[in-house]
Amino acid sequence: MRKKILFLSILFGCLTFSDLQAQIKKVLVKGVVIEKATNLGIPGATILSGTPAKVIGSTDNKGMFSVSVDEGSTLVFHFVGFNDARVKLKPGQTSANVILHESNSQLDEVVVRGYQVRSKETSTGSSTTITSKDIMDVPVSNVEQLLQGKVAGLNIQVNTGAPGFRGTSTIRGLNTLAVTGNGSESFLQPTSPLYVIDGVPIDADKAAEYGYNQQGPGVSPLSLIPQEDIASLEVLKDAQATSLYGSRGAYGVIIITTKRGNSKIPRVRYTSNFFMNTPPKLRETLGGNAERNSKINHILSNALTQEDFDRLSKTYFLTDSLNDYYNNSTNWQGVFYQNTFNQSHNLAFDGGDEKFNYKTNVGYFSETGVVKNTGFDRYNMNMNMEYNPTPKLKFFASVFGSIGKQNKGDGVGLLQRGVAENGQTSSLLPGPSFFQSTLGAVSALKTLNNNDSRNIRANIDVKYQLLPGLWAASTLSYDFTSDNEDTFTPAAANRQFARVYSFNGRSSNLYSRSNISYAKTFNGKHNIFANVFNELYKVTGQSGIIVQNKTANDQLQGPLGFDGYYSTGGGILTNFKNARLASFAAAFSYDYMKKYVIDLSYRLDGSSGSGLENPYAKNPSIGLRWNFNKEEWLKEVEWLSYGAFRLSWGRNVSPTANLSNIYGLYQNTGTYNNNPTMGIDYGQVPNPKLKPTTTSQYNFGFDAGLFESKVELNFDAYYKKVDNLLFSSGLSNSVGFGSVLSNDAGIVNYGYELAVTVRPLPTSSPFNWSISVNGAINRDVLTKLPAEYNGQYIRFDGDANSLQHLVYRVGKNTMSNYLRVNQGVYATTENVPVDPATGLTYNTGGRFFQGGDPIFKDVNGDYVLDNRDYEISGNSQPVVTGGLSTNLSYKGWGLNVYGSFTLLRTILNNALADRFRIMSNPYDLRAVVPLDDLDTWKKPGDVTKYPYAYDYARYGAIQPFRLDQTLWAEQGSYLKFNSVTLSYMFTKKLAKRIGLSNFRAYISGNNLITFSPYSGPNPENVTALGRDASGGYPVPRTYNFGMNVEF
Amino acid sequence: MKKYIVCSLLLLCGLSQFSCKKFLDVTPLDKLTGNNFYKNKEDVETVIYDMSRNFFTKINATHYAGAVGEYRAGEVKHQLNTSLAPARRFVEVLGKNDLLQLLYGNPMPWDFYNFGTLTDWTTYYQVIQSANILVFNLEQGIPTLSDKQTKQYIGEAKFIRCLAYFYLVRLYGDVPYYTKAFYSDAPPRENMVSVFNKCIVDLKGSVNDMQWTFSDPALKGVRASKGSVIALLMNMNMWNAGFDGANASKYWEETARLGDELIKSGAYKLMDLKDWNLVMKGRSDESLFEFYRSINYNDAVNNFASIGDMFLHYPYKRPQTSFQVSFAYFKAEYMKQIYPEIESDKRKEAWFENMYANDGDFIMQKYGQNVYASGNQDVNPDNTFLVFRYAESILLCAEAQANLGRNAEATTLVNMVRERAEAAPYDGSGSVKDFVFLERSRELIGEGHHYFDLIRTKRILSRSWTSNPLTLDQFNRGGWTWPINEAARNNNPYMTLNTYWLTGGK
Repeated sequence: MRKKILFLSILFGCLTFSDLQAQIKKVLVKGVVIEKATNLGIPGATILSGTPAKVIGSTDNKGMFSVSVDEGSTLVFHFVGFNDARVKLKPGQTSANVILHESNSQLDEVVVRGYQVRSKETSTGSSTTITSKDIMDVPVSNVEQLLQGKVAGLNIQVNTGAPGFRGTSTIRGLNTLAVTGNGSESFLQPTSPLYVIDGVPIDADKAAEYGYNQQGPGVSPLSLIPQEDIASLEVLKDAQATSLYGSRGAYGVIIITTKRGNSKIPRVRYTSNFFMNTPPKLRETLGGNAERNSKINHILSNALTQEDFDRLSKTYFLTDSLNDYYNNSTNWQGVFYQNTFNQSHNLAFDGGDEKFNYKTNVGYFSETGVVKNTGFDRYNMNMNMEYNPTPKLKFFASVFGSIGKQNKGDGVGLLQRGVAENGQTSSLLPGPSFFQSTLGAVSALKTLNNNDSRNIRANIDVKYQLLPGLWAASTLSYDFTSDNEDTFTPAAANRQFARVYSFNGRSSNLYSRSNISYAKTFNGKHNIFANVFNELYKVTGQSGIIVQNKTANDQLQGPLGFDGYYSTGGGILTNFKNARLASFAAAFSYDYMKKYVIDLSYRLDGSSGSGLENPYAKNPSIGLRWNFNKEEWLKEVEWLSYGAFRLSWGRNVSPTANLSNIYGLYQNTGTYNNNPTMGIDYGQVPNPKLKPTTTSQYNFGFDAGLFESKVELNFDAYYKKVDNLLFSSGLSNSVGFGSVLSNDAGIVNYGYELAVTVRPLPTSSPFNWSISVNGAINRDVLTKLPAEYNGQYIRFDGDANSLQHLVYRVGKNTMSNYLRVNQGVYATTENVPVDPATGLTYNTGGRFFQGGDPIFKDVNGDYVLDNRDYEISGNSQPVVTGGLSTNLSYKGWGLNVYGSFTLLRTILNNALADRFRIMSNPYDLRAVVPLDDLDTWKKPGDVTKYPYAYDYARYGAIQPFRLDQTLWAEQGSYLKFNSVTLSYMFTKKLAKRIGLSNFRAYISGNNLITFSPYSGPNPENVTALGRDASGGYPVPRTYNFGMNVEF
Repeated sequence: MKKYIVCSLLLLCGLSQFSCKKFLDVTPLDKLTGNNFYKNKEDVETVIYDMSRNFFTKINATHYAGAVGEYRAGEVKHQLNTSLAPARRFVEVLGKNDLLQLLYGNPMPWDFYNFGTLTDWTTYYQVIQSANILVFNLEQGIPTLSDKQTKQYIGEAKFIRCLAYFYLVRLYGDVPYYTKAFYSDAPPRENMVSVFNKCIVDLKGSVNDMQWTFSDPALKGVRASKGSVIALLMNMNMWNAGFDGANASKYWEETARLGDELIKSGAYKLMDLKDWNLVMKGRSDESLFEFYRSINYNDAVNNFASIGDMFLHYPYKRPQTSFQVSFAYFKAEYMKQIYPEIESDKRKEAWFENMYANDGDFIMQKYGQNVYASGNQDVNPDNTFLVFRYAESILLCAEAQANLGRNAEATTLVNMVRERAEAAPYDGSGSVKDFVFLERSRELIGEGHHYFDLIRTKRILSRSWTSNPLTLDQFNRGGWTWPINEAARNNNPYMTLNTYWLTGGK
């Protein structure tokens, strides 16, 4: 009864209130809303009025509006990406022309935390948002590389130019000690951030799971996203921001949001790019007779024995100069490298309003590699649709389909070994033809490779408001990828036996997330927000290969799998996957008048891979924020637009061990007494005590906007501790097992990040100009190793030709090289030290050093250079990374320049070493590289940097150009101009004249100039361990013409 | 209303916790991990068989029994002008105890015999780890196994573990000892007497849980029975009696007691000599433990693995053209010592042809049974690899009794073995101990016991018992051991190698 009375009285109250309202006079207000930068009308801007603000209308496609409002009320004009404009109607005013300024203040940005959109003003974590504008004018096959230099603390190295491949990306330093491979092909295990595309987590390292030097079949999911379809990217760096993503967020999180439909009138937007890729400057070589003379002279002046002279007469390609076969001047590098012309097209349809909108994006991207017989094509079709029938129900659905087709040639992708080797062929040999050339050349040019991924991802997202402020939401997505790779190697490229290789694999990911969130404001001062969600993943996958050697001829590329006689090898690969994850997470946030903010979150991650005894990893976090500009005593300070301190701590726990690490793996071993036998795999002793790797991170942040946000700065300092890193230690053979996996390694990363944006011109200026600089200093320190190593572990390089060892020493930077120390070159033989005990000069392997030989430091002082004369040196990980950019616009013109830099990093210039090492054997069929530009020893008395290069007879013993020396350790700092874009937006009128509603044209260049003290070709085109392998794929320079057209 | 929603949500969250375990419990189809193993009897048995299989790889990797247990006594010479005769000279290199020449010599025509594998003990420790893990799991309890079964399997696992230690000690002397599952520390070497004492305790703990014999004839001698354990215990005791002189009589008593128990059980018997082929085929009533191999099961056996390979020729080996003579022979002098020409002994006919030939005409037909007759295929007779045999245990018991001065008992036991061979019973002349020793030499020829008998009885020091004696100094410095592979020192700062071989092997 009492309820009824209450209800009636409320109803009555409402009625009377609306009665009162009706008495105010209505006026019709007309006008136009214009964008400041372009002076064009903004279609679809919403107009709000009243308290609380209600939508009362929106602008048409020309930006015109006409609304009926109460006299004297305030109109608010709102458009995404612009600052709101407020107009208070004067009595009798019936028209209003409004200019909207692009929003620049970071505080207006929204951020995503644990799948919930939050205002940046109340976020305690550290993150950076990149909008579509920053990534739209340079066509790339993998959008990740466009983030380079744009986010402080995100270190992206575009270390391969292979189309469709990824470089490396790490957030806030090193997370792993795992290194595979040897020599220049040693690779650091990638620890890429987790990518979340439209709320669905994606594994970016997917195609790299076969090992790091060998890109497996399949294409990285990041290469399948068209850059035109991206609305924004957010990079989450600290543990407060990432802990809600749990185990998978341990290496940071990058959130990609694709575009939504947003136009009352359906519109068609078309973007097209035409671009040319050019290979970088290639190695100089001597051609034809110059090569012959050089080699003969090389032999004659350095031969030690009569045998060497005699050998020359038997080296026909040098001496038989009248033979047509040996009388050429072939540019072998030209055989493999090329300029390419490429294009991309993207068509987007969208339409709808806040109630219902839709978008379709169709894209095509094609890039032919600068190395012949490589390339990448992508086809896309994405659709999404948003439907909000009532303010209480929101419905979003999307379908994302793409095909990526890669041609890796005969390389494994990251490395093009065949090309690298054959590019060094002697110019005296005739150029390649199918029947007359080296295996490698035919293999590189004629191998048919088709590596494609077909990916389809569907996503449905429903939200329902149960009570005011209380929302329940559910997301379901299914991602299916089919990977195929077919390689046909013609007979001429494979010792006269044609070979067919076929891989096919499939993987799927079913993902569901359900959450309940609640937001409420008490007394207008206390805001609380709570969010509880759970996530379920079901990941499956399986793949197999089949190989046929010796097909009948090159026409017949099969049949595969016909029967056991015809097909060999293959079968199901070991990457069968059936994994499940279940997670529960809760986040709670409280703020007092948006002044004091506290964030708490907790997440439990369960994985089917970590055993049932303790399947849950716990990820807690806490964050605090103080928006001090809201304090009373700072209210008066005009120049401070906003200011905040942030403090956070969080932990990401990721189970790194799998069931076989913990419990051991049992395998079928054969039979005994006619019974099958099963035995444990003795490779690694099971360790039930394995703990998950724990990354805990403290972050202190400071944000400020000064002078109406003309200057904005973000500063972060962090301390990130990676504990319980897996470390595999060898075991004594009296234990039976080969190695033990332990948790006894740890790394600490600490550093500072600063990002400053300055907009020096007043808002009234017709120019818009902004300059941004960001940089991050990261230092990593190895804090722990298994006790038996006594603080130092040397990872010996198994490649006898390289011996570039790594050393892990507690207390030092983690990835140090372990090399012989080069201290210059002996000017004369007299300078070589003599052992006072024996009277013998410094020697190695029985050969005595002499003038022109390198001075290797005799570390143990025994006057013999051997494998005990190594020292720790260098740091292969960059200490400083960052970028700078400037954007200038005037009327329709725009100029954007983006640069990035990496400082303080040691690179081992193996490419230069290879250039010298070609000289080690003048008899072989390799090109001659001029060394005139290098400071090499030529005659006794020369004080130079590089040893005498031509002493081939003693080369084997002295190895002056051995890879394991500090001579190749160079400073790998660089400043690179990533891209420059000049654009022009035609005025509406002009555009109309050619039947378009908008037209923008631009030219851009990518990877234009790199400034570096490094003597090699490109300080960025090196592995994550800082090895400049000359077999790497060069990063091309791109020149582009593109246009955006809107109908 | 809100209350209900909150309550139901909490309830949901609570419920999902339970179903979650189920959701996360994925049995990987492509990998059998430890948590999904040891679920039933079959799993246990596949592991038991696997240990034997793995153990046998060690024996199969080289000419094991001959290299380890026979030729070092110096009684074997190789026959010139056979196929690969220079390679067969290894028997004489062993006969001079020149292991460094055998292992690292240059030239080394016998490198296909892989004698290097004898310096590497990894596989034995793999068997030990596997047994340790099995014992650990059995002690934790395996569903569907009865208490009795569990105990018996523990006994079998302990047997194979101790058998591995038995082999290790006889090869290298002091060795690391551990019984912990998933052991991963760096172990130092432990005194061999102590290793055997620990093994003895270990085995005695479960010997009475074992069954005397298996009802399934296919398991006889193949799977460890109580008899296997007793045989191993007796051998370990006798070894320790030789090296732990102060307590020798304790070990002899123990051996005598165990032998007595074994004989009284009646579970095993000495097969008739005319059925010798059955003994060599395996799974016989005489077998206490063996590594069973059969051509019927497609079991891969390297030709050089069997000792018979050296002492057989056509028609026991084919093709005739390749095997006109045996590769090696026991010296006539030695054969006459153990089988005097005048004494009658059925073994002389049953086991040998041309036994005093002193050249390649010598045939040890003891291993020539079960000839696999399939055209001219070059394979050895299809024999099992015997480890312990009833006759061996009887003689070991006799030896212990003789050492204890109980000559009557010793004589009875020796005569049991002689009776089967239809040889004259021991007539009491000479020393019983020496007679038992000679009887062992006669009965166990080629089975890889002889050299170890010489060592533990210290007869190796005497020219009258061996053509290749060691001096006491050489003996004490470990001249009877094998070199340990340098790899043993990797990742193990406590490891020492056998110094005798590091200092030139002289």
